[in-house]
Amino acid sequence: MDLLQGTLDMLILRTLLAGSLHGYGIAKTIRSTSNEALDIEFGSLYPALKRLEAKGWIVSGWETSEHNRRAKFYKLTAAGRKQLLREHSKWADFVSAVGRIMGTLPEVKG
Amino acid sequence: MRIWNRLKYLWPAWRRQEEREIHEELRSLAAIAGTKELGNLTLAMEDVRATWGWTWLDSIFADIGYSLRALRSQPAFVAVAVLSLALAVGANSAIFSLSDALLLRPLPVKNPADVFDVSSTTPDNPFEGMSFPDYRDLRDKSRSFSGLTAYRLTSLAVAANPAAPAQIRFANLVSDNFFPVAGVTPSAGRAFLPDETTAPAQPVAMVSYDFWQQNYAGDHSVIGSSLRLNGIVFTIIGVAPPSFTGLERFVRPSIFVPLGMAQRLGGERADPLEDRGRHDLIVKGRLSAGTSQESAQAELATIGAALEREYVKTNRNRHMAVRTELQRRIQQTPQLVALIKMLMGLVALILIIACSNVANLLLARAPTRSREIAIRLSIGARRSRVVRQLMTESLILAIPGGVAGLVVAYGGILLLQTLSVPSDPPNVLGVELDWRVVQFSLLAALGSCIFFGLVPAWQTARTDFVSALKAGGDGASGRWRTFGRDVLVAGQIALAIVVLIAAGMFLAGFRNMLVMPPEFRTDHLISLDTAPAVVHYSPEQTMAFYRRLVDRVRTMAGVAGVAMTQSLPLSPSQTAVSVVPEGYQFPKGREKAIELGAVVDALYFSTLNVEIKRGRAFTDDDRAGSHRVAIVNQQFAKTYWPGQDPIGKRIRMDSANGPAAEVVGVAKTGHYLAVNETPAPFVYLPYDQNPRSRMTLIVQSIGDASALARPLRDAVRSIDGNVPVFNLRPVATLYESRVTDTWLQLFQMVGTIGFIGLALATTGLYGLVAYTVSRRVKEFGIRVAVGASNRDIVWLVERRGLVLAGVGIAIGAVLTAAAAPLLAAGFPGLGVSSPTVYALVPLALLMVSAVTSYVPARRAAGLDPLRALRNE
Repeated sequence: MDLLQGTLDMLILRTLLAGSLHGYGIAKTIRSTSNEALDIEFGSLYPALKRLEAKGWIVSGWETSEHNRRAKFYKLTAAGRKQLLREHSKWADFVSAVGRIMGTLPEVKG
Repeated sequence: MRIWNRLKYLWPAWRRQEEREIHEELRSLAAIAGTKELGNLTLAMEDVRATWGWTWLDSIFADIGYSLRALRSQPAFVAVAVLSLALAVGANSAIFSLSDALLLRPLPVKNPADVFDVSSTTPDNPFEGMSFPDYRDLRDKSRSFSGLTAYRLTSLAVAANPAAPAQIRFANLVSDNFFPVAGVTPSAGRAFLPDETTAPAQPVAMVSYDFWQQNYAGDHSVIGSSLRLNGIVFTIIGVAPPSFTGLERFVRPSIFVPLGMAQRLGGERADPLEDRGRHDLIVKGRLSAGTSQESAQAELATIGAALEREYVKTNRNRHMAVRTELQRRIQQTPQLVALIKMLMGLVALILIIACSNVANLLLARAPTRSREIAIRLSIGARRSRVVRQLMTESLILAIPGGVAGLVVAYGGILLLQTLSVPSDPPNVLGVELDWRVVQFSLLAALGSCIFFGLVPAWQTARTDFVSALKAGGDGASGRWRTFGRDVLVAGQIALAIVVLIAAGMFLAGFRNMLVMPPEFRTDHLISLDTAPAVVHYSPEQTMAFYRRLVDRVRTMAGVAGVAMTQSLPLSPSQTAVSVVPEGYQFPKGREKAIELGAVVDALYFSTLNVEIKRGRAFTDDDRAGSHRVAIVNQQFAKTYWPGQDPIGKRIRMDSANGPAAEVVGVAKTGHYLAVNETPAPFVYLPYDQNPRSRMTLIVQSIGDASALARPLRDAVRSIDGNVPVFNLRPVATLYESRVTDTWLQLFQMVGTIGFIGLALATTGLYGLVAYTVSRRVKEFGIRVAVGASNRDIVWLVERRGLVLAGVGIAIGAVLTAAAAPLLAAGFPGLGVSSPTVYALVPLALLMVSAVTSYVPARRAAGLDPLRALRNE
């Protein structure tokens, strides 16, 4: 499934709301939470992470993972939390607007 | 924070660290998830770098490195291109420097764009100065200006103490706000105080930075020390900063004195500051914020009209004009503007020729480059990227071209700096290699880079890469390319024709000038200026002084004769008179004429050998109190009394109500301001009837004129040691410096420009013909194989060169005809329509073209046909 521009950023921020994760962990979480519907390539996810980090919405630091492996973990900052709220309300508006237009599809003949 | 975040990625060490960090992270993730799971990490890395935002910079560095490698393999190409640019940019920068000194350089004040010239104009004189009372009213009433300052240029006799001989120096008498309005802060000490204009309790003066350095070695104890100006003791209160050289273009004042001292310095009976009829102040104003020139002009027109109503006698027909400094200069010296336009035009043509040369060289490389570019395009480079790469190469040529151009310009500027007339105090022609010239050079180089680089780059990048790869570098668009190059070369030759004809005109005119004998004698004459008024002689004392001096000099050994004049012809300072020729109907609104004129004594005409065509010269009987007389030149008679006998006509002096002088003689028209001027009316008045405070003595020697210098100086000393002597020099020296040297240097300059143009155009032609020969090697081989003789081959090549030259010459002739009025304006009085030049230049160029083409033609004819064919 293709993602709308900017949606990826929102998904990453939302995923990190639950707690800090490493890059691959974020990709895995998005995949599993969406019931495998969103399979985001790591190659596109990673530059997005770096972009969010540069904007100051997330910070990273080396930690030890569940299997005792070192990895870089990403964590939401206060600014990131605010950004997520903004993105979320925008997204909700968008969904409800589209929903009003689409509604339930009437019977289409043919 | 964001900016900092971006900027830190400019730092290579930071980027390297960041990349190491990312590598480590990706390695650790690969260990967790497996490499396959993570996908294309190189691409991810590339995207991350893009988020740093400096990839464009990386690629520019890459372009530069690549260009340097590409250019290093072709040193001859680089040398010709850089040399072409250097010559053209150098010529342009040198002429720019000259134009800057003559016309363009802004006033050395703070925010010069806000400072405007305010002058009082009449229909008779658009540049008359302002009187102090008018200035005072203007300053009090005007709201458009945040400050209005008035000053007057004068020269003063300067001495550190009573024992030292006085030197003549330029000085500015200034209103108290002169320095604040200019926005200039003194280097040392202070500027004048508000009450120091009109009521100077104690005479105070400021000195220029140069004067301070030369006379006091920059010693700060100069503040508070005393200085004698025209014999009056002043206290030095401040030193102007080095950047401030005064508000005049060609003179740099050494001394600044409050206007309130004008009366005492001039030894005048009445206070000149209270005389509304005395228009000798220059006024500059700094516009208030938010005021436009138009609204200031409107306000001043109102104030001027009110003054005209109130002071009918002095202000009738008088208006206020607000001009920018440049407007004032352009209106004041239109001949300089014409000269500059012409010189700038010529060097601009040179730059175009040089650019065509480089463009031609770049196009010549196109076939060899097209294969390489085809490869880059085929592996996915965008065309815009290729254009950028090629433009980078052009830029890499342009920058050393610009820098080398500065070196060439410096040579030209050194030559131009010698363009000055020996005089004391010295006039200054500030031709300098300053920051403005550097900026101009680099701008010219970059501008030409776009000009010569863009078309070839676009042309090359248009390469159809499939055919280019197939044909091995000999693309199908080859024919079009040669056509483009033909056009460039023909254009170069056309422009070279224009430049050479202009230079030729100059040469022809210059030759006329050299063979033209001076209208007055220059040999065995020495002149000197004195100014007894500066030591407070009354007019009667001044007359007595001059009478004693003339009598004493006449009896000196080695002196054949002596005469006096107010100004020598062609000397830098010429005087003017206001006259109303009787019977002449002035155009509406005008009531008098301002013409060149000089007060001379009875022996002037015979001593200087100025021919009296009709009537008589002045005699000793033309004395004070006797019938007033005048002598006019032929041009004056022709202008004001056409077809009538000027003898017996009367001229009113100053105004229609002024005293009348009867014309008793007609002198031959000469040259007064410059040797290339158009004939100008001139009026001579006898000294005894019109005594002046400052006269020039002309002494005719029996032997070497310069040997009289010391005895003359001593003669003045023996009458009064305080009277300064200056401009003591043989008349021949003055004449040579004004006539021969100045024009010789201008001629050298224009000649050099012409030669550069010819050299560049010839290089272009040679390059193209040589290139065609190299492309047609195979064809020539076949021709020779089937029996063509050497001469046939030579002619084949020659023909091409000559056809190109012929087309160029034809276009050039048309261009020259179009540019002729500009040339005529640039050299007033020079023979512009010299048929010899029109005939010789194209012929010479045709011959040069033939010789140029002959070199590659010989090479073509010397080819071994077997070798030529085997090469394929």
